[in-house]
Amino acid sequence: MRPSRIIAALALLVGLAAPAGAARLISQMSNDTIEITSSFDGERMSFFGAIVPDSGSEDLVVKGPFHVVIVVVGPTADRVARQKTHNFGIWLNTDQVTFRRFPSYFHVLSSGRLRDITDVTTLTTQFILPESHTLKPNEAGWWKTAVFGRELVRLMTEEELFGVNQNAVNFLSENVYSARLTLPSNAPPGSYLALTYVFRNGEIIARKSEGFAVRKIGFERFLALAAVQQPLLYGLICVILALFTGWLGGLIFRR
Amino acid sequence: MQIYLPIAELSVNLFFLVGIGGAVGFLSGLFGVGGGFLLTPLLIFSGVPVPVAVASVTGQVVAASTSGALSHYRRGGIDLHLVMYLILSGILGAFGGVAVFDILRDAGQLDLVISLGFLILLGFVGVVMLIEAGRAILKQRKGVVVRERLPNQHNWMHGLPMRVRFKKSRLYISVLPVLVIGLFIGFVGSLLGIGGGFIMVPALVYLLRVPGNVVIGTSLAQVVAMMAATTILHAVQSQSVDILLAFCLMVGGVAGAQFGAAAGKQLRGEQLRGLLALLVLAVAIRFGLSLVLTPADPFSMAVVSPGSAS
Repeated sequence: MRPSRIIAALALLVGLAAPAGAARLISQMSNDTIEITSSFDGERMSFFGAIVPDSGSEDLVVKGPFHVVIVVVGPTADRVARQKTHNFGIWLNTDQVTFRRFPSYFHVLSSGRLRDITDVTTLTTQFILPESHTLKPNEAGWWKTAVFGRELVRLMTEEELFGVNQNAVNFLSENVYSARLTLPSNAPPGSYLALTYVFRNGEIIARKSEGFAVRKIGFERFLALAAVQQPLLYGLICVILALFTGWLGGLIFRR
Repeated sequence: MQIYLPIAELSVNLFFLVGIGGAVGFLSGLFGVGGGFLLTPLLIFSGVPVPVAVASVTGQVVAASTSGALSHYRRGGIDLHLVMYLILSGILGAFGGVAVFDILRDAGQLDLVISLGFLILLGFVGVVMLIEAGRAILKQRKGVVVRERLPNQHNWMHGLPMRVRFKKSRLYISVLPVLVIGLFIGFVGSLLGIGGGFIMVPALVYLLRVPGNVVIGTSLAQVVAMMAATTILHAVQSQSVDILLAFCLMVGGVAGAQFGAAAGKQLRGEQLRGLLALLVLAVAIRFGLSLVLTPADPFSMAVVSPGSAS
């Protein structure tokens, strides 16, 4: 999945090189790594940017009004949505649809209502709407995919892993914006991509993609790696720790 | 104070974890059971993913049972010969349990089987215990002297082939029922994340007629060994043991167990068993309701295979 990410990033760079309009986006994020420590309880991030004339352009300023949409996509995983139905008096999972390489985190920040910024086709083809990730062809058939996809997006939204905030981007002047995002404590570790789109009259006139990483560091990283890379040793250490704690407890509280 | 659990990948209040560990530890010390059957459901209801809850509680049960097992060992209250047979078949059962655990998790039916398993097992044991304790209390009221030890009569199970002499338990019985009990508890324990002490004790008493002075110690020793093996199996196979989660629970549990054991001395045996039966039934009913009542949300989601490690 890493190579495809790189290809996607390259494609975006190529898109940047081609003159999409006479504008260019300069932007900056507050963090390029978010470190998960033992006290990790979510993290606030800020995005800043300015829309300036493209290099080689004669203009001194680019005329707005602009709209900015920032899409933050987390690492992907195969995720399954399941439905419980009532059978023989009990509720059990009977139906499921698997969504391959579905983002584990997806937040959209925008400077206005998405429907006002551009049309649904652009929103869908650029993967700006959360639902657009569920529209990939799926062996379950399009009807089931649509139904389960909508429910999956709702579940992810309830977990604060998906979200659309339509007034998160504020313009400080006509060309300069800032935006805030709070990553929740359950944000999955991995590589993230922040894709910024600048719209004018419903058209994308500039875009930029920046990556950042959410990763466990120190002891948490060590534990998570040990559990995967040395499972036998990890299990043995768990048991030794448990035996020791039990023995110590008996010793301390010996009546 | 929030603490981030690296395997569960969520942050939980540290005091909440130590607190439920302590509360369950208190009850386990009071009743002389491991407490897994309370802790696993509590963690599940508080949002810890089911596989992580089940696998991590096995680690906590080891700690909770160790101090008890050690003190029984010093008093000579463990039939090591019997424990060896129970462990041998128990580990086989645990292999089966962990394998079934993985299959069910992938098929999306793990929650259902765990709910059903708890409902049937706890419901059955709870009802039997309640009846037994109720009878004992009634007899006590009428002034009938309750026999401390069960009659040493044999039943049909003892007559099966492959008889072995267990010196400490003063038994000369077939090993087949012993192996079956070990196998069953190993399987159920690893599947549901419970030590199985509350099944083991009645099985030893009523089926094998093990004398009272070695029952608890033997059961505890078996739980320690079984759960230690299960923890390792879970760590290797499903990689869902959260050592930090387990450790927080252990610290609370070990401390709580000591106070529970002290409090237990204030209560009579049959009263204790009656209370434990009510507790077991309450958990069973909670699981039963979650199966029968219309769920708040018929849809659920799960990650099948993570896209990337780290």
